[in-house]
Amino acid sequence: MESLQKKARALLEAAAVKVVIGYTAGSDAERARPLFARFPEQAQQLIYDARCRQNLATYLLKPEVQALGKAAVVARPATLRTILQYAVENRLVDEAVLALAVGDAGEITELANFAALEEYLAKLPRGLTTAEEQEIARLTGMPLEQRWAFWHAELERCIKCYACRAACPLCYCTRCITDVNQPQWLPVASSPLGNLEWNVVRAMHLAGRCIDCGSCADACPEGIRIDLLNRVLAQEAQAQFGAEPGYSTRREYALSTFKPDDKEEFIR
Amino acid sequence: MPRIGVFICHCGENIAGTVDCAAVTQAAAQIPGVVHSVDYKYMCSDPGQNQIKEAIKEKRLTGVVVAACSPRMHEPTFRRACAEAGLNPFLCEMANLREHCSWVHEKNGHTTSKAIDLVRILVEKVKRNRPLFPINVPVTKTALVIGGGIAGIQAALDIANAGQKVVLVEREPSIGGHMAQLSETFPTLDCSQCILTPRMVEVAQHPNITLHTYAELERLDGFIGNFRAVIRKKARCIDEKTCTGCGACIQKCALKKIPSEFNAGLGLRTAIYVPFPQAVPNKPVIDRDHCTFFQTGRCKLCERACPTKAIRFDQQDEFIEINVGAVVAATGYEVKGTDFFPEYGYGEQKDIITGLQFERLASASGPTQGVIKRPSDGKVPDTIVFVACAGSRDPAKGIAYCSKICCMYTAKHAMLYKHKVHAGKAYVFYMDIRAGGKMYEEFVRRAIEEDEVHYVRGRVSRIYPRDGQLVVKGVDTLLNSRPVEIEADMVVLATAMVAQPDAESLAQKMKVSYDQYHFLAEAHPKLRPVEMNTAGIFVAGACQAPKDIPETVAQASAAAAKVLGLFSRDELSREPVVAVVNRCAPPEFSTCVGCFLCESACAYQAIEHEDIKTRDGKLIKTVARVNQGVCQGCGTCVALCRSKSIDLQGFSNEQIFAELVAL
Repeated sequence: MESLQKKARALLEAAAVKVVIGYTAGSDAERARPLFARFPEQAQQLIYDARCRQNLATYLLKPEVQALGKAAVVARPATLRTILQYAVENRLVDEAVLALAVGDAGEITELANFAALEEYLAKLPRGLTTAEEQEIARLTGMPLEQRWAFWHAELERCIKCYACRAACPLCYCTRCITDVNQPQWLPVASSPLGNLEWNVVRAMHLAGRCIDCGSCADACPEGIRIDLLNRVLAQEAQAQFGAEPGYSTRREYALSTFKPDDKEEFIR
Repeated sequence: MPRIGVFICHCGENIAGTVDCAAVTQAAAQIPGVVHSVDYKYMCSDPGQNQIKEAIKEKRLTGVVVAACSPRMHEPTFRRACAEAGLNPFLCEMANLREHCSWVHEKNGHTTSKAIDLVRILVEKVKRNRPLFPINVPVTKTALVIGGGIAGIQAALDIANAGQKVVLVEREPSIGGHMAQLSETFPTLDCSQCILTPRMVEVAQHPNITLHTYAELERLDGFIGNFRAVIRKKARCIDEKTCTGCGACIQKCALKKIPSEFNAGLGLRTAIYVPFPQAVPNKPVIDRDHCTFFQTGRCKLCERACPTKAIRFDQQDEFIEINVGAVVAATGYEVKGTDFFPEYGYGEQKDIITGLQFERLASASGPTQGVIKRPSDGKVPDTIVFVACAGSRDPAKGIAYCSKICCMYTAKHAMLYKHKVHAGKAYVFYMDIRAGGKMYEEFVRRAIEEDEVHYVRGRVSRIYPRDGQLVVKGVDTLLNSRPVEIEADMVVLATAMVAQPDAESLAQKMKVSYDQYHFLAEAHPKLRPVEMNTAGIFVAGACQAPKDIPETVAQASAAAAKVLGLFSRDELSREPVVAVVNRCAPPEFSTCVGCFLCESACAYQAIEHEDIKTRDGKLIKTVARVNQGVCQGCGTCVALCRSKSIDLQGFSNEQIFAELVAL
């Protein structure tokens, strides 16, 4: 934590960046909230521990943040993956952001460009943890009817607050399709069918793009595990098309890129 | 307020037989916005069309729904009628009451109510239609012909002789293709090279033809009238401008034992070589895979021998970008090798050869100067067995089709052999004799009757060596299925004609369809046999299906005629059914966020980047733009766009949604 504060202070003092986006203590002991440190003395407010789960890359695209100038961002691996996916999707130009990757022992690695990010991520373990795998297996192991009933029951609780959309780094459309009323694709009110439609549409929009940061589930006030929908789709995209979003700047979006060795097992 | 006219066609009994047209007319009149609803026996007839025209004028219609047959059939007819009455043709839509309703359902109330539904959704769509105007695109009057065999040569000459420019690309060092390898051609037995080489020379000298040999198509983008092709000119290692074709380098080359591709592996060549003496252009090429210099870094004997210093070891592949308006694919075929047949010895028997190899043996310019000698010891064979349908018509071998030319060339081979070796015996094992063609049947009869070729109807099950001879075991199915065993000195397999090994990747480069055997697929097997499904790309010769020379030449001329038809206009007018990226009020200007994931989804490379700028030139954002000339209106980008910032004109999200809601 100290090295992070020192690094942030040095960067701000040297004016190498105009803002350091990191975490600071939240309203209670269990929460952290984002901090936008613009002055060297703010650096000491930075914290980094298990509470710091939110994907801060989301803020990199906000016009208000971009107006501040070059940003450094305290980055979990998911944050780094987001930045690379932003590169794929034409959101960020190279070297526009300085990523401060925090290692297991609290050591800070400065990653100034996409190539450095790719290299850093290549060394980290990939794939799901055993617990995550079991979670997915339990879900996909359910018979179709049971799984359908499970999601119906889960999504019935959705209140359409769109917190998932706000937290998701890849939901950056300036006009989300839910806000379109000519034509009105998705009903405005929270209703079982409409909730299902919204969450399925969001999951499809993220298939092959989701970098699995889990921010959507963290943000959900109803505690719906919408991240599981995305995770299963990500697994599917990986198995079918070898999609590994967030690990490189190569544009190989599974939904729009044809490769001769695509399995196409789903076409019967 | 919309003022929609609905016109219901009986199509004689086709629709009225199962649909209650009067009820549909009445129901349509009740739909909000419909001010005119009539039915008529044949809407496509002159009086029918006049009804539409008069209604447009009298009722001041803002949209027309014709409930009749498939839009594929008569949409142009009705749209033209609307245009003649002063209504934008794209404000006319068709409800398909025939193929989608009357033809596929029984006569009952449900059928009529489905017809009413179909009319209703089209009325809702038409209310949201906007006037559209055709897009005019210029035509680049240059044709690209891929493949320099007889098909490509013929197509190129026909186009060039009509005064249009042609770029001919051939991947081998010389044009000529398989026809240049043939000895004599059926059914007239005239020398193949004698009739082909003058054409090859004509190609090389034609002012309208640009010839690229030892070159391949690298990329093809664009669309009818406006293709952009990238040609890879492989490094020949020869400066073609200074080389005089004297052949001194070939004399000097130390490597002389490389199997010659032109002689189908029966002859030998050097590492720097000209495939055959009449090659066009008559400039050698260095085979880098064999050349001593490229393999070991030392030699350069040819460079020292060259009197004009034309050898360029450091030559690199060159990429040429050209704009063309039409493409003719004439990439030809390959024949299966003898190694394809386990029952005939896996290609390990030297004296079992393919028909193409026999052509080289029988050719005066071949490795034996036209004397039929068997490859193993050079003996003139006393007995030859010809096996027709080797691989062809054999679903178990994965080749279910007939290779078409084998019956004829096998008869020719047997005949040529008998002409050269009078005492020799020739046997032909066949399944059926397919000799449909002018003078073809007579030719086969001549082989059997005058030249005494023994035709055995049956298949060969096994061929194996015994005492320097080949034992051919087969069956004669015409004599109570008697087993036949022949001791032959040489066996010629009429192996199946197959697509080029890279036909699939070429088809993918050109974005055209191909069949399960990787032959290129024509747009319609009967009525559009030389067009491909991608507009502006045509097909000629055996890359489409097995063909003989006369058929290939006819198809090549047909393709040339299609190209010339396209080039007869300066501009092409195309339907404005294309995708557009939306625009909206500031500060967004467009809901497109510029992620450009649609770029890779577009199969036609129609997505471009567009900068939206303020008046003083400050960049606001970069969004996608659809090139209207390139867009084919497939709608893939529309489906992919997360923010629905792209719409297909004439099939907008709003229209489709209204149609669904109307159901």
